[in-house]
Amino acid sequence: MPNPILALIAFAVLAIVLYVLLAPERGLVWRWREMGRLNERVFIEDTLKHVYKCELNGRAPTIESIAGAVHISADQAAHLVTVMTERELLVLVDDHLKLTPGGVNAALHVIRAHRLWERFLADETGMSESGWHRLADRYEHGRSPEELGELERQLGYPTHDPHGDPIPSSSGQYVPHGGQPLPSMPLNVPLRIVHVEDEPDVIYAQLVAEGLAPGQQIRITSQSPQAIRFWADGDEHVLAPVVAGNISVVVEHAAEVTRAVERLSDLKQGETAVVSGIAPACRGAERRRFLDLGILSGTRVNAEFLSPSGDPMAYRIRETLIALRREQADLIYIRREEAAS
Amino acid sequence: MSAPSEQREGILQLADQLRWEVGQGFHEQLMEDLYTDAARLADRAVTRPDVKERFDLDRTIDRLVTSRIWGFPMMILLFMLVFWITISGANVPSAFLSSILIDQLHPILKSAAASIGMSAFLSGLLIDGMYLATAWVVSVMLPPMAIFFPLFTLLEDFGYLPRVAFNLDNIFKKSGAHGKQALSMMMGFGCNAAGVVATRVIDSPRERLIAIITNNFALCNGRWPTQILIATVFIGALVPSYLAGLISALAVVGIAVLGVLLTFLSSWTLSRTVLRGEVSTFSLELPPYRPPRVLQTIYTSMIDRTMYVLWRAVVFAMPAGALIWLCANVTIGDLSIAQHLINFLNPAGILIGLNGVILLAYVVAIPANEIVIPTVLMLTVLVTGMSGQGAGAGVMFNAQSNADLLTLLHAGGWTLLTAINLMLFSLIHNPCSTTIYTIYKETGSLKWTAVAALMPLLLGLTVTFVVAQVWRLFGG
Repeated sequence: MPNPILALIAFAVLAIVLYVLLAPERGLVWRWREMGRLNERVFIEDTLKHVYKCELNGRAPTIESIAGAVHISADQAAHLVTVMTERELLVLVDDHLKLTPGGVNAALHVIRAHRLWERFLADETGMSESGWHRLADRYEHGRSPEELGELERQLGYPTHDPHGDPIPSSSGQYVPHGGQPLPSMPLNVPLRIVHVEDEPDVIYAQLVAEGLAPGQQIRITSQSPQAIRFWADGDEHVLAPVVAGNISVVVEHAAEVTRAVERLSDLKQGETAVVSGIAPACRGAERRRFLDLGILSGTRVNAEFLSPSGDPMAYRIRETLIALRREQADLIYIRREEAAS
Repeated sequence: MSAPSEQREGILQLADQLRWEVGQGFHEQLMEDLYTDAARLADRAVTRPDVKERFDLDRTIDRLVTSRIWGFPMMILLFMLVFWITISGANVPSAFLSSILIDQLHPILKSAAASIGMSAFLSGLLIDGMYLATAWVVSVMLPPMAIFFPLFTLLEDFGYLPRVAFNLDNIFKKSGAHGKQALSMMMGFGCNAAGVVATRVIDSPRERLIAIITNNFALCNGRWPTQILIATVFIGALVPSYLAGLISALAVVGIAVLGVLLTFLSSWTLSRTVLRGEVSTFSLELPPYRPPRVLQTIYTSMIDRTMYVLWRAVVFAMPAGALIWLCANVTIGDLSIAQHLINFLNPAGILIGLNGVILLAYVVAIPANEIVIPTVLMLTVLVTGMSGQGAGAGVMFNAQSNADLLTLLHAGGWTLLTAINLMLFSLIHNPCSTTIYTIYKETGSLKWTAVAALMPLLLGLTVTFVVAQVWRLFGG
């Protein structure tokens, strides 16, 4: 029988080795596979995206900026640009790199793939917001137009990705979201979020944590160089202007007044209210489930009783008792009814 | 010629342009409006008979069973009652079946086979191997299931079980699971295969997979007898005799509670790692209470659950019985296959505080946990060559008394560590083949079946290994 201390040490070493090898996203095996994935095609597609975005924002792409965006060395980037020029994807005009018409088409194809995949991840999987962009970056490569057409059909021909970016159609057409950065807008005007930028990760994570998503109605109440204070669908938020700058908004049409501010989770036991809508952040399977249960605008809801463990609450909806968790009840907007009705 | 095609181009362009103008919520908006219109039409056209009276009764029951004070105690009492009825009620029919199928029918079959001149090999394979394993599984498995499943189905039919899910949901939510997993877990205490089938009530894909993969940690009916036997013989013997019953019962309950804790722990881990990307939606309908339809319930629970599970078990037990018998009776060189395998497995078994016999028993007894102990005893006799015990190579048996059992197991090299680790390993190892097959049928995925089978096995090996090393370090 081996010495127990030695056995435990050997076991610990084995466990550590296995972890180092197999840990998801950090393990060696994962990294090797990741390196195998990164071939020239991936680099070219990433470069196309980068140059396209630079042209859109009026910046000039350089070898250095490409190297930074694609995570390769400057030498590799220079080689890549040569290859892409040979393939007539890039041209050098007055010392500036530009996409050829073919290059623009190829770039739009990659962007279309990225945004369709983000839509897919948001609607058809349980991935959290922070995972969408990163995974779409992996899935977008090497897709044929037919594959994307099929994906688009499955998703019901969506027009925008979950961040509010328009998805180019198969012919490469799209209409920009047309929003302005939130800090540039006047106070006390009804606004609507049309886009939430997903880069850099840190700022996006903060916006997700605040529960901000395209489609929400917003009103700025005060603004200073340090902080911008606003209401979004009934909740008050305070953000640094640099963070708020990653939210794009448009002025809401006068006809549509800012929605009622109460949520189903605000309903106390025994109280009754009428559903006024489902939050825009609630998507895919979850939203369909709500519709299936008959949680629709105009449906009367009564909070019947609370679980002894504090959550969920049982609601009477269309003569059925349905238990909803607090996070779900947060996604349903209500308005209180006058006692008479 | 060009006019229609120009017109067509124009229309297509307009459509493309409008697509962007109507905005991104267009499809959802349309669908929601359809639903809302349908609901409005239905509200206007459908009149509902007065259901107020029953409604009030329902509300009273709901207030009681989900009350802060009475909710949990009632639930615990009710389930203790169900388990007590199952365990105590199953003893008599189990002993009866066992005496008929094993003590009486088996010798009759053997002598009948001898009288028609069947060769010893064939009668051993068919009767000692296949028949006996099947008889064992039926006599141990059938009575508790025939009691537990109808009781459980009655509670379900009455409408109480959804309230249990409602009461417990918060606890399951914290580990990333669904409240209804409480139900499949309870069902798992009866039989894991039935528990896996019971996860069908969970309609959220991620939570359902969690419930399927972790169901094995609910200590099933086939493992309770092993736990009770080992706890009585080894753990109960540590304390004065007036405490023995209590302490061994506590040990068994401790194992079951450990299983529940492992369920939460593995649910938490799974929902944050491999199952992160699966779709998750929560909804729990609390149906109105109904008077249970007793006869119908007993009939359907017998057909749907008991017979289903029993048939699967029999299908798997017969070949396993043959395999066990062949292992013990076919010799290569001087030793039987079983002895070769035991010698091969022994170092690994000793390392994790078990032994080769136990490991081999767990390999060949994959079809049903019920036959692990009889197989262990048979193999121990085979290895030690003890006389006066057992019924011959390849013939499973149970010890006549606990003293006999203790003598036999001590001769097989068992210590207190072996007993404790056997109890742990019995809780934490791969599900039986019936359950594995059911998992495959339910998930339709080899990947998740493999995860469900290998995750507990690896965990079990790790736990027994660490316990053995720590035990040797401090206990000698």
